[in-house]
Amino acid sequence: MAAQMTTTKVPEVRDLTRIERIGAHSHIRGLGLDDALEPRQVSQGMVGQLAARRAAGLILEMIKDGQIAGRAVLIAGQPGTGKTAIAMGIAQSLGQDTPFTALAGSEIFSLEMSKTEALSQAFRKAIGVRIKEETEIIEGEVVEIQIDRPATGTGAKVGKLTLKTTEMETIYDLGNKMIESLTKEKVQAGDVITIDKATGKICKLGRSFTRARDYDAMGAQTQFVQCPEGELQKRKEVVHTVSLHEIDVINSRTQGFLALFSGDTGEIKSEIREQINAKVSEWREEGKAEIIPGVLFIDEVHMLDIECFSFLNRALESDLSPVLIMATNRGITRIRGTNYQSPHGIPIDLLDRLLIIATSPYTEKETRQILKIRCEEEDVELSEEAHTVLTRIGQETSLRYAIQLISTAGLVCRKRRGTEVQVEDIKRVYSLFLDESRSSQYMKECQDSFLFNEAQPSQMDMS
Amino acid sequence: MAVQSWSDLLKAAKKTALISDGKRKVHYLFTDGTEMAEEYDMKTDELLSRRLRSKSRLGGQGAWQVDVGETGLSLTETEEIKENSSNPVFMRKDTKTSFQWRVRNIPYPIDTYKITVEPLDRCCIIRTTNKKYYKKFSISDLDRCQLPLESSALSFSHANNTLIISYKKPKEILALEQELMRELKKLKGTNEGDVDRKTQ
Repeated sequence: MAAQMTTTKVPEVRDLTRIERIGAHSHIRGLGLDDALEPRQVSQGMVGQLAARRAAGLILEMIKDGQIAGRAVLIAGQPGTGKTAIAMGIAQSLGQDTPFTALAGSEIFSLEMSKTEALSQAFRKAIGVRIKEETEIIEGEVVEIQIDRPATGTGAKVGKLTLKTTEMETIYDLGNKMIESLTKEKVQAGDVITIDKATGKICKLGRSFTRARDYDAMGAQTQFVQCPEGELQKRKEVVHTVSLHEIDVINSRTQGFLALFSGDTGEIKSEIREQINAKVSEWREEGKAEIIPGVLFIDEVHMLDIECFSFLNRALESDLSPVLIMATNRGITRIRGTNYQSPHGIPIDLLDRLLIIATSPYTEKETRQILKIRCEEEDVELSEEAHTVLTRIGQETSLRYAIQLISTAGLVCRKRRGTEVQVEDIKRVYSLFLDESRSSQYMKECQDSFLFNEAQPSQMDMS
Repeated sequence: MAVQSWSDLLKAAKKTALISDGKRKVHYLFTDGTEMAEEYDMKTDELLSRRLRSKSRLGGQGAWQVDVGETGLSLTETEEIKENSSNPVFMRKDTKTSFQWRVRNIPYPIDTYKITVEPLDRCCIIRTTNKKYYKKFSISDLDRCQLPLESSALSFSHANNTLIISYKKPKEILALEQELMRELKKLKGTNEGDVDRKTQ
């Protein structure tokens, strides 16, 4: 029995690790605030930056309220002080239903689309519309699932699913993906399920009352439901959220929906946008739809140029505008596209409309804490001394560099069959990989021996 | 009066006709953006298929809904789930004088079936005593003209694994169809291919 349990558990674990990769901010699950919006020192993957987090919490409340349109927030601070982390924290605490669109300042420069078009699309992606739509579903009690794997072990699986209601019974042929999702949901005979016809999404409603005597197959939270009545295929009203941009795309092309999947959306005419805006406000007045203003996050906002900034000035005044969060790590610098200097590389008139949140460098204790969280996230065990050394590195070089060393040191440690990363492992990777300042140092010393070093200007002239 | 409004809608619709492989194919574009496509047999003038499609709520194009004629087995576009070929297949296939539905591939004896007309729900229901098959269907032609449903018009038979259900067309429908047919024959249909298919 126990052996059986382990064999069935293994593929599950493998599935999970394949789906979720570890990103730079995957340890962040929220802003780490309590109910009174007071920041906790260490919570939900966030460490320190108390004032900034509290400020972000207030902004979050404003977004959740959904009343105020077109506010803009700037998160400013040195590199590696958690600006993107705070934005991610806001995104995580907003939940599934509020649109959160993130882009980097340089993403809007494209040959196929003008800068302002890219920005308008981003703005409209960040506004959600909750609307009722009719979809077709299949709802029934599972009589039998039969999945045949080919004898050779490779190739497509063949599956059959028999569903019934109180009135009828139908056998369905299943495709590969459907078989996978049925096994993932652990659907078995006696379950009452619904299958969304458009998306193929499976939802388990509970177990049928007629199977109430199968005690062995029951968990504590098993719900018993009646076997559905009538036809297996039904039309049902469901509420879902689409962004204004998605509605634009559907209406701007004849083939409609397909354009969403092909990815190439091109430019959208302003008349269509106006039509959609009119239609959406009509729906809102009739109570058919609800507008959910979301968040547009622009990272590295100093990469935008003066045209974009003046566009933003105007776009923020529209009542269909989301809350705009920007982040930058620049000080007083040139505004792109001009010769003027300005704080954060943003024109003063736009800066005047912003709420500015500042982040400050992490203290030693905070750095230590963040490294600990990252070690847990990356599944690396660190000895006490190694942790101290790494914190030191983080303080003297940069936090990012120290975080990079965690996984590499973890690998070195695993190669020597150790279980815990020791100071030696850290030393090893520290000598193997240069940090930014050591690399610059090296450049200064050995510049002469690099390629294309001598006589560069004259060579340029020739071409 | 209701019959009148539907025939007015038909008259107002933009109609395109095309004749290919022995079928007269007609495309209607109604003023609200709904499309209807019909196919008639050239020799007998019988309706072979009718499909409708209307704009979805968000403005995209919906899928074709088959009103009359064959339907595919696949339920989703990706073919991830489809009905097994051993299941009964339901389709509508009209004759000149009656609406007719066929359930193919259904082997149970004739006393298994119980077919009722529900005038309140405006639909007919096929039930089986062995709980293997159940189908609720509406008669879209009568719905469009807002004519009442009557149980006396319904009859059914079973032969060769097929259940055939007939509903006698009321005289309003017969008159409307004759008038429509005359209109359609007046439409100049191009003979082959879509090359110079008239759109006006």
